[in-house]
Amino acid sequence: MENKFINVKIDGRDHQVTEGKTILEACLETGIRIPSLCYLKDVSHNASCAICVVDVKGAKSLVRSCVTSINEGMEITTHSPAINQARKTNLELILANHPKECLICERNGNCELQSLSAELGMTETSFPRTKPTEASDETSLSLVRNPDKCILCGRCIAVCADVQTVYAIDFAGRGLRSKVGTYQNRGLGNVACTNCGQCALVCPTAAIVEKDDTEAVFADIYNSDKIVVVQTAPAIRVGIGEAMGMSEGALVTGKMVSSLRKLGFNKVFDTQFTADLTIMEEGFELISRIKNGGTLPMVTSCSPGWIKFIEHFFPKSLKHLSTCKSPQQMFGAVAKTYYAEKFNIDPRKLVVVSIMPCTAKKFECKRPEMNSAFHYWKDKLNLTDKENFYDVDYVLTTRELAKMFKKTGVDFSSLPEEEFDHPLGISTGAGVIFGATGGVMEAAVRTAYEVITGKPLPKIDLNVVRGFEGIKEAELDIDGTKIKVAVAHSLKNARTLLEQIEEGKSPYAFIEVMTCPGGCLGGGGQAIPTTWAIRQKRADSIYKEDSMHAIRKSHDNPAIKAIYSEFLKEPLGHHSHELLHTSYVERGIF
Amino acid sequence: MNTHEENYVGKSAIDEIISKHKGKPGELLTTMEEIQEASEYKYLDMQSMDYLSSQTKVPLSQIYSVATFYSFFNLKPQGKHTIIVCRGTACHTKGSKVLLDDLSTMPGCKDALEAGETSFTTEDRLITVKTVACFGQCALAPVVAVDGVIYSNVTSEQIKKILQNLQEDNKDENIRLC
Repeated sequence: MENKFINVKIDGRDHQVTEGKTILEACLETGIRIPSLCYLKDVSHNASCAICVVDVKGAKSLVRSCVTSINEGMEITTHSPAINQARKTNLELILANHPKECLICERNGNCELQSLSAELGMTETSFPRTKPTEASDETSLSLVRNPDKCILCGRCIAVCADVQTVYAIDFAGRGLRSKVGTYQNRGLGNVACTNCGQCALVCPTAAIVEKDDTEAVFADIYNSDKIVVVQTAPAIRVGIGEAMGMSEGALVTGKMVSSLRKLGFNKVFDTQFTADLTIMEEGFELISRIKNGGTLPMVTSCSPGWIKFIEHFFPKSLKHLSTCKSPQQMFGAVAKTYYAEKFNIDPRKLVVVSIMPCTAKKFECKRPEMNSAFHYWKDKLNLTDKENFYDVDYVLTTRELAKMFKKTGVDFSSLPEEEFDHPLGISTGAGVIFGATGGVMEAAVRTAYEVITGKPLPKIDLNVVRGFEGIKEAELDIDGTKIKVAVAHSLKNARTLLEQIEEGKSPYAFIEVMTCPGGCLGGGGQAIPTTWAIRQKRADSIYKEDSMHAIRKSHDNPAIKAIYSEFLKEPLGHHSHELLHTSYVERGIF
Repeated sequence: MNTHEENYVGKSAIDEIISKHKGKPGELLTTMEEIQEASEYKYLDMQSMDYLSSQTKVPLSQIYSVATFYSFFNLKPQGKHTIIVCRGTACHTKGSKVLLDDLSTMPGCKDALEAGETSFTTEDRLITVKTVACFGQCALAPVVAVDGVIYSNVTSEQIKKILQNLQEDNKDENIRLC
């Protein structure tokens, strides 16, 4: 589509800007940044904060530039003493009801309200607090809401409704009692929330944050009775650098490993190992479903937000989900059985910590059925039900890991690059790309093609499923057999594919779904900010890491071959069934 | 609370209300309004909201948002009688606070209103006390509405008498005080 340009005057200078944009966007195009707060590109244009006001010649009052479209001949002033004063007053009104406890706040140093205050040169707040205080919402295993820190910008509501179609939160009440709330004030843990954490990712303040588990992990690290191992998801190596002050999308695998070792973890392993394992199990499950007339399309089950979404909103379609656990849960189960046995470690002393770009994983690891290792050992060690332990003990987000690094004085950039420990740290390029939308599909195809045909894959890169288009589809020719596949990221797109399935119109055999926009690299636990430009840089790093790997197909991973020959025997075998596969629950909407 | 046998609005009644307004502008608001009217204690009970959401596909959070935005909607069972005290400036200067204090003698009422609740209902569900920002009847201040009837220039004695009549089921007596 060809862009049409219009002539406008901004701050006294003539400019040509693209038609159909808002004043704020058009000004940005000419290099003029208008301060804003509630506005968030691609997510929210609630126009509630009135920070982005500008003067338009002929208008009765200042206008909000985030929602006013720019028109031919407009004369706009973006900065003047009067405008600056209006912005300061509007910010002062917001600050009146915001706690001034920046020094002891989770988002200290990474808060948009804080940096805007600095930008506008706020030196005093003369208005008293008018809103009643409210207790925080700690009902969720993944997220904590602090209503007192909420500035009612509406970003969380917009992302939950428009990007994820979950609608777990909305404005409630009116006037001074307005707040972001859940149905009947039940709290996030008691409504149909998928725990995806996109709300926390877009929140400008600390009104929604992940549930902090760092202290508990520190306690276990410093407990000499415990053996604490850590697994890192693929997307961490392209996100933690940012959280430690490096450039956007910085690829820091080696530094991350050495930092984790310095932090005190006994072994540093890689979720990518079990991503490769997932490909083996899921690939064979798909082949078996196709051969034996099982339920198709089969949909991936790696993304716990997506799992909870389908359990809440499409419980009738659960049979379409792959029965494979997510790589994080496979890791926990394998670490506390295969690894513990192989290295003669008491599984009760073994603590598995996951570093995930994800808040939903915190919920996932506490699902009651995620204790396969306990059942594995129960008879062997004569365990009582009271001694129950989970396969994964703690999940930390990228942001929490950065906090731990900072607390322990890890100088992230100067540490040497180190390798993951063996054997659960050995992985392939197929494991890396799990971190980007389309990655599981590409990794699965790399293995399925060779398993089915017995021939080497002609071209490893499956570019058709890469990129950020909402729903990608492809027709794959596996030695004459054609199958259609689809890839969706963000739950809105997943909903579209599910509705297709429920209407009986889905043409696909295999569907990959990732909860978060862009896949795990844009996860709700990732570094803040996460924008589409940043997601792209993280994706570039993911595919770069894949291309650098000597081994790029899961079934070629020597550690995977070893675990099958030593322990699991075969994909979909008895141990796999007990440890690597799971079942789902019908939840419904509430 | 469970001492009251309660008839919730039936599913078929809700279905009927939904279909009556389907596709019309502002259908959610009208539908919620009628469901509340159809309920025995004039409020939106949880079952009704759950059912409304499941039938209309309007998310529960949005229904709750609407229900908490408009003071018209009640999320708690309402009393048989409603007394609304105007707390506008004119009524305040003419003593409406005193009237509210008189009503607050009912057990639990004072605590609820001081805690920021916008309405209070007696445990026996006989009387609900609410406040309103302004009735727009400032010339008649202080103003109180009892079951939709406006009482003007209300005195402390009158409000006590009104309350007593309601409690003694002498509603008709109140009309003479009007």
